[in-house]
Amino acid sequence: MVNIIIDGRKIKAKEGSTILENAEELKIEIPTLCHHKELSPFGACRLCTVEVKTNGKWKMTTSCDTAVDQGMEIRTDSDKVRESRRLSAQLLYYKYPTTAVVRDMAWKLGVEVSEDAKAEGHDCILCGLCVRACREIVDTGALTFRDRGLGRDIDEPRIEFDPKLCIGCGSCAYVCPTGYVKMEAVEDKRIIWDKVFKMAACKVCGKYFAPQDQLEYISKKTGVPLSKLYTCVNCR
Amino acid sequence: MNTASFSSWKGKIVDNRKGKAAKSVDIKFPAQLGVDNVSAVMGWNGLVVMDPDADIISLTMNYLKEARKLSCGECSVCRIGIDRLLDIFGKMSEGDGNKKDLFEVQQIIRGVSVNSKCNFGRSVLFPVLDAIKYYRSDFLALIKGERKLETKEYSYAVTAPCMEACPASLDIPGYIELIRNSRFEESLNLIREKCILPGVVGRVCPHPCEDACVRQDIDGPLSIRLLKRAVADYDLQEGGSPLTGTMEEKEEKVAIIGSGPAGLAAAYNLRLMGYKVTIFETLPRAGGMATVGIPDYRLPKDILNHEIDLIKRMGVEIKLNNKVEKLNLKELQKKGYKAVFLAVGAHIGTKIGAEGEDKGYEGFVDGVEFLRDMNLGKKVQPQKKVVVVGGGNTALDCARSCVRIGFDNVEIIYRRSRAEMPASDEEIEEAEKEGVKFNYLMTPVKILEKDGKVTGVECIKMRLGELDESGRRRPIPVKGSEFTMDTVMVIPAIGQRPDLPAMTGKDKVEVTDWGTIKADLVSYKTNIEGVFAGGDCVTGPAILIDALDMGNKVARSIDCYLRGEDLKREISFEGVNTREQREQGFIAEKVAEKVDLLDVDKRSEGFTEVESGYDVSEAMREAQRCLRCYRLMVCEQAG
Repeated sequence: MVNIIIDGRKIKAKEGSTILENAEELKIEIPTLCHHKELSPFGACRLCTVEVKTNGKWKMTTSCDTAVDQGMEIRTDSDKVRESRRLSAQLLYYKYPTTAVVRDMAWKLGVEVSEDAKAEGHDCILCGLCVRACREIVDTGALTFRDRGLGRDIDEPRIEFDPKLCIGCGSCAYVCPTGYVKMEAVEDKRIIWDKVFKMAACKVCGKYFAPQDQLEYISKKTGVPLSKLYTCVNCR
Repeated sequence: MNTASFSSWKGKIVDNRKGKAAKSVDIKFPAQLGVDNVSAVMGWNGLVVMDPDADIISLTMNYLKEARKLSCGECSVCRIGIDRLLDIFGKMSEGDGNKKDLFEVQQIIRGVSVNSKCNFGRSVLFPVLDAIKYYRSDFLALIKGERKLETKEYSYAVTAPCMEACPASLDIPGYIELIRNSRFEESLNLIREKCILPGVVGRVCPHPCEDACVRQDIDGPLSIRLLKRAVADYDLQEGGSPLTGTMEEKEEKVAIIGSGPAGLAAAYNLRLMGYKVTIFETLPRAGGMATVGIPDYRLPKDILNHEIDLIKRMGVEIKLNNKVEKLNLKELQKKGYKAVFLAVGAHIGTKIGAEGEDKGYEGFVDGVEFLRDMNLGKKVQPQKKVVVVGGGNTALDCARSCVRIGFDNVEIIYRRSRAEMPASDEEIEEAEKEGVKFNYLMTPVKILEKDGKVTGVECIKMRLGELDESGRRRPIPVKGSEFTMDTVMVIPAIGQRPDLPAMTGKDKVEVTDWGTIKADLVSYKTNIEGVFAGGDCVTGPAILIDALDMGNKVARSIDCYLRGEDLKREISFEGVNTREQREQGFIAEKVAEKVDLLDVDKRSEGFTEVESGYDVSEAMREAQRCLRCYRLMVCEQAG
């Protein structure tokens, strides 16, 4: 355990835990759009910034990917913090003016949100939640970041989908904060990232409950025979 | 020192536009950059204007367009911030701007500089802030429609502290980023553009890049070498991908003398350009020093052989056991070779200056010869004791090999102290763990023998004097301090030189006073038309990536030569401190991923590789630590 001070409150924090985790435990609200407690931090949205004192000076950092340190002093609600979050939200709103979560967040953080545009957009804000869920939870790696960089001829960075690796589990759609990742169910089919998956029916209740590809993947990963997997959660 | 109209480099403002006595700027732009006729420079660390008529607004917009290409997009503030700035300036230049826009520009720049995830975003926009602050009237004139943008020519350069330190200027942040994004295959292709032996360099490079890493002063540098190795190892696990590239076959043939890293790199690049390439190799195995100079516990031969094999599969012919006895250009030309690259390395040990060293005593074996014989399969009989003379990696390689062969006592004697030892710290530490005994501040003066067999070595103690040309303290013998050490074997390993008689045969290739081949260090041309030289035979013993990089450059130079073109100069950052940035911000500490080393007890059993590499997830975690310190520089060309 290490001793830290958040907003003047002295607490003991677990070594290696992040500022954000500790703040959440203290019910200190810190805005985020790219954080999920089951996934590794990514630092994409830059909304969770806080101030940390180092060598006597206050410096800004993102709370989601900064681990606490013995004696660390943290401010989560200073003028500088609020201004920094407002600016990050302003930029997101500038880019995605019709996406509901972005509009709500911007408004909450003090950005003037115009009522002219309707909140009907479902933009990908590149938060990376889907990429991390796919890699860290499902371990398929069907989704990857395509970054811009030196010598790469890429105009807009984006999320890349590899249909060969996708098992249709829908984790990406579940974590997507904007509704960009759509998952549709049509009878015995599931459509996700434009790939059509055949659904398997529960051998007890007969309802379609999981893509065939996903069951095969689980069987391969866990060693449980495929035949034992054709029962849905409710009937198990 | 020079005078400039304006400079904000490193945040230090020098403004000579007011008609007062001009102040000089303590940076050497643009001469330092190696490009001519530059009227203004915008770089991550500031704005430098030479010509008062330079168009700062156009320069700013061009700079931002280049910055956008480097903004990876992982964090929103840098990605959207740069887009927003370009939109605002675009609107201004279309006569649709507003004075208030400049305020927003400042706000965005401050936000991006403070909140960006990486050092690129945290540093890249400062010069734009300088531009709108110190050239505000230009921007206001643009908003009012009183100013038209000019069309100028620009040259661009991108580097990073690690890239600058790397002799081959590998795009290190680039390949690390691809690892972070689980794109190992693309990462390997990017590495291969400038380093055709990734698995080899990923194991043996002394990684000057890591010494330059900005994390060095925070929580230790990125393990850049191990990341490169991880990418190469992953590829090999997946079956080993071939070298790719579209080759347009050319008629011209090029001869390369020597199949070491320099020769291989040149061969690969020339082949990629479509030339027919033949390598002539003296030894029965290809690879030069990488094959015969590095023991298996540091570099397993199958790694090297695989990478050489890929080059051969591109159509590079390697003729083994083919010593070029006397360089005869006419003969090579008759066979159709239009250019020759001498890359013979430095395979002859330097004399240590001890009495009896040239008498051919049994038990006195030169270090490079010892390693060469061992690597070519010659059995070495373990002895009671061996004394290795020298403090470089060759000495360490000899000593650590002797441990593995089964020598009872392995001692190193070095004439300076541990601090001056040129061998890498890792090597020294591992050797110590393996039981190698280090004796500092002594040097051999006489080899002792009985019946032609080594029985010992007479040494003299040394003390350290003033600094010498190498920047290390000069060792000075202590009079009357001679003493003897018993040993049955002595391995001198203090340096190497090239085998020049072969190279200075019929055609007299000019050599330097140090016994190396004289070549121009930009074009690598020798005094003989059509003959180029590079690698250790030009520099003396250097690190592998140095030689490999020269191979890359020689290939470009030979290509220009054969096409009758001039070599294009590139912007150079030499002498520019690329580690500096105006504000560093907060960097959370994350310690580097560890790798396992072979149990010390098991090392004396044989030549098993000591270091294991990162697996995929370890590599991806380590790659997360990269601060991505790309530095952008855009120059406006005058005229």
